Amino acid sequence: MAGVYIAGVAMTDIGRHELDAHELGARVCAEALRDAGLIPSRVEGLISTPHGYMADTRKMITQRMADYLGIACGLMLDIDSGGNSSSTAVHIAYDRIERGRIKSCLVFAAQREATPKKIRSDIAGHFHLIKSANSLYDSYQAAFGVISPLPFYAMAIQRYMHLHGIVPEDIARVAVLLREHALRHPRAAYKEPLTVEEVLASNIVSPPIHRLESSEMHDGAAALVLVTEELARDNKRAVRVAAMAEAHDATSFIPYRGEIARFPCVGRAAHGALEGSGYSISDVDVAEVYGAFAGLEPMMYEEIGFFAPGEAPAAIREGRTSHGGEVLLNPSGGRLSLGHPAYVTPLLEFTEVVRQLRGEAGERQRPGASVGLVHTEQGFINGSVLAVLDRPDGRTSEKR
Amino acid sequence: MDTRPYMQDRAAEDFFALLERGEFKSTRCRYCCVTHYPPRVLCPLCLDEDLEWVDLPREGTLVAFTQQEAAIRCRKPDVLGLVELEGIGNVFTRIDAPFEELHIGQKVVFDTWTSHDGVALHHFRPLA
Repeated sequence: MAGVYIAGVAMTDIGRHELDAHELGARVCAEALRDAGLIPSRVEGLISTPHGYMADTRKMITQRMADYLGIACGLMLDIDSGGNSSSTAVHIAYDRIERGRIKSCLVFAAQREATPKKIRSDIAGHFHLIKSANSLYDSYQAAFGVISPLPFYAMAIQRYMHLHGIVPEDIARVAVLLREHALRHPRAAYKEPLTVEEVLASNIVSPPIHRLESSEMHDGAAALVLVTEELARDNKRAVRVAAMAEAHDATSFIPYRGEIARFPCVGRAAHGALEGSGYSISDVDVAEVYGAFAGLEPMMYEEIGFFAPGEAPAAIREGRTSHGGEVLLNPSGGRLSLGHPAYVTPLLEFTEVVRQLRGEAGERQRPGASVGLVHTEQGFINGSVLAVLDRPDGRTSEKR
Repeated sequence: MDTRPYMQDRAAEDFFALLERGEFKSTRCRYCCVTHYPPRVLCPLCLDEDLEWVDLPREGTLVAFTQQEAAIRCRKPDVLGLVELEGIGNVFTRIDAPFEELHIGQKVVFDTWTSHDGVALHHFRPLA
């Protein structure tokens, strides 16, 4: 089997953008290709995702980019599977390259949302978008007016806190820590420090979730270039994809059976990716975890296997997930403070872990990081895609 | 603005029509003898389409509860929750009680409820 490498990464500032998502995408694709040292005519696959959840639907985005960048290729795909869209894209690119079908693949996502403010000021004009947000859920969830997964996450976090005796300060502290991480990231959406008191004083959007514990929808774009081992040979900055795995539960948003504070697909995908890579969880130096709410972060850390159930909040409190800790989790600032253009988010996570493994993460750098993990999810964590990345053989850090 | 709920299949149409008449029912596979929630047009266990409508239990246990700020209906101060019907599953529903008076594990009982925009739905209230 051929090795698969990430040769190029690129991302925009995260926040609000005025450029059309097409131009955002084109610019970030060009930057990732330059980073990889590849020209468009050498690209053999192209995959992308929709431009947003509350954006007016535009179809066949990828085909337009192929024309715009002059990419004649052997794989072209538009993927929409919610938060996992761009990581599923990476997974497919990885599979095709590993099987020798193509030698390179460009994966990109660009998101431009109709902001909630805009929607609130003209509800009638945007009602088709509100209806379409509501129709994400099945009839038995949609009937109660749901237009975001917030109430579902709120109930899962409430149960998690109830089952493990977690107090509100423990959850607020996660938001504060992620903000501290983001202050080291020049492209993060948030630039101001945060305190536990400020988090707990912010409005409760869906109890027990405070506004400052909930990620906002942002604009942004990112791109990744995946290549064969052969194409990566002379590229000293290429990072290896050691393994990828995904797992999905037979649920859509709130589960009708079982414990809603547990997410079995995450553990299955994590097990698959770690086993495939030959590493164990304790080998991981740095990880980007997809947690759209502060309360979800410890739950995801536990499901992935970094900590036993109920133990992550104490680990976070003790600094074990931050700089100088046993594993650096969400050095980018995570969804909460880097910002969260959901379709782009998995590529932002890959970008961060690749930069960490290259030793190019600047102030955010985990010294000697050599094994990294990316976790993404869709819906109400109904499905999860995991990747384990490492530095190519012979270039491992002083650490091992 | 059309705010009618989205109906994904005939079973959903029937479920909400039954609610309008005060009935709380779901489908049961005559072959597997398993009651589904939510109702189905076919049994996900055996794929048989020979299903019958049976009464669901009207008492359950409060698994979790919350409120929503932005929504088409059931905005704050309405409470939404998840109620476990023993042996069947979790029902996502409105809860007919102030948020502060609820706790996880509480026993709750079914009733029909009509939303402000005239949709027949259900809610559960704490057992007295």
